[in-house]
Amino acid sequence: MSSYPFLAEVLAEKYDVEAQAISPDATMAELGLDSLTLIELLFDLEDEFGIEFPEERATFSTLGEAAAVIDDLVRAKEPTG
Amino acid sequence: MTPHGQDPRDVFERLFRGESAVRMVRSGTPEFGSDLALAPVDFDPGDTIPKVQRLFMARSAQMAVVAAHGAIRSAGLLVEHRGPRDAGVYVGCALGGAETIQEGYRTYYDRKSRRYKPSTVPMIMANAAASHISMTYEVQGPAHTYSIACSSSTVAIGEAFRAIRDGYLEVALAGGTEAMLNDGSVAAWERLGVLASEHPEGVHVSSRPFDAERTGFVLGEGAAILVIESEDRASARGASPVAEIVGYGSSSDAHNLIEPLADGQVRAMRDGLLDSGIDPGEVGYINAHATGTPTGDPVEIDAIKRVFGAHAQRLAVSSTKSMHGHLVGAAGAVECAITALALSEGRIPPTAHLTTPDPACDLDCVPGVGRELPALAVAMSNSFAFGGSNASLVLRKA
Repeated sequence: MSSYPFLAEVLAEKYDVEAQAISPDATMAELGLDSLTLIELLFDLEDEFGIEFPEERATFSTLGEAAAVIDDLVRAKEPTG
Repeated sequence: MTPHGQDPRDVFERLFRGESAVRMVRSGTPEFGSDLALAPVDFDPGDTIPKVQRLFMARSAQMAVVAAHGAIRSAGLLVEHRGPRDAGVYVGCALGGAETIQEGYRTYYDRKSRRYKPSTVPMIMANAAASHISMTYEVQGPAHTYSIACSSSTVAIGEAFRAIRDGYLEVALAGGTEAMLNDGSVAAWERLGVLASEHPEGVHVSSRPFDAERTGFVLGEGAAILVIESEDRASARGASPVAEIVGYGSSSDAHNLIEPLADGQVRAMRDGLLDSGIDPGEVGYINAHATGTPTGDPVEIDAIKRVFGAHAQRLAVSSTKSMHGHLVGAAGAVECAITALALSEGRIPPTAHLTTPDPACDLDCVPGVGRELPALAVAMSNSFAFGGSNASLVLRKA
């Protein structure tokens, strides 16, 4: 999960989520993220990783899942040679 | 939340002394922007608005929430970060999230991208400030926004006053907010040809209502929220009001988008006085709309003379815009607050830098510094908007 550390950092720094609440098992609801905040967060992640979340992959229940989706999307855009 | 600071009594002191908050502001786009005389607010939301909330709030909404906080707290109505649950929120705002609109267009036209910040729409909307006040302080009455250019917040306060007097509400948080000193907005104002040029004696004396050397108004920004409460409820809880709102009048010129008409202003002032049931001869002070444009100021003076007749010669009329500039959607609220403080303190603020009175503005315009007026019992605050919407509030000493 190479994107997880960034995800954890942006949640703590920009979205003021308490550090102890952040873990791969934490759900979006547990983190107190409402729908607008979630859309902003996805926007930040797209910018950071140069990816675009397809609609069907833009929902996830935990942070770990989110990181896995990001990692997938990053891998998919890498040249396969 | 004004160009003179945050504490109402402090702001009043500075205005009383004739201190200007106007300064030269460097354009953020040096390639083609211009430096201008403006009246910005030194604003820091501090602990009042959590960092994450600010991501979704334009400057105008942030200033409104901080102003509301001060108002609710000083009225003694802040209980564990909450305001009165049954209160209404009445906010005047002409433009909304001006800098967010600018940022969005930058993304689209400059960066040739459709990747707008997702929260752009709820940040731009003019009613965002009212909604944020309602959400932040868990206030659940109606949250209404009046977007009537320069009259916005006078109307907001007037409508809140009526809702309370007519029994629809017991308490309201009413006022206005405006923050459009971003380059894109200021350039549009410049093009309209209504902004003041820098005065040879210094930028701080560039806003000169009623003066023969006036060249236009100085655009300002800020927010002011007032707690308006029914007399019964205020006295039941032992509150000590700053002043009493007793009348409100509003009218339309039905004439021109930017050219004022004395007839419409006369109707607003007369209706406000009629509404109050107070004899015009009891009015001792008018906080004028007078922005400092060559055409506007004499029209208001003419309208005042028509409303008050011979008594106009005994009235004091001042324009505090000479010091805090023109706050557009927040102007009426800031000026209503100043008028309330004038009644409370028995002292009236001046029209600063009024050194060469325009012969067409030949009333007592309180030049230079403020004046003790211990007998002051009734005062009026005027706002006349682009679009020809006029509004007047009548206040009485509490």
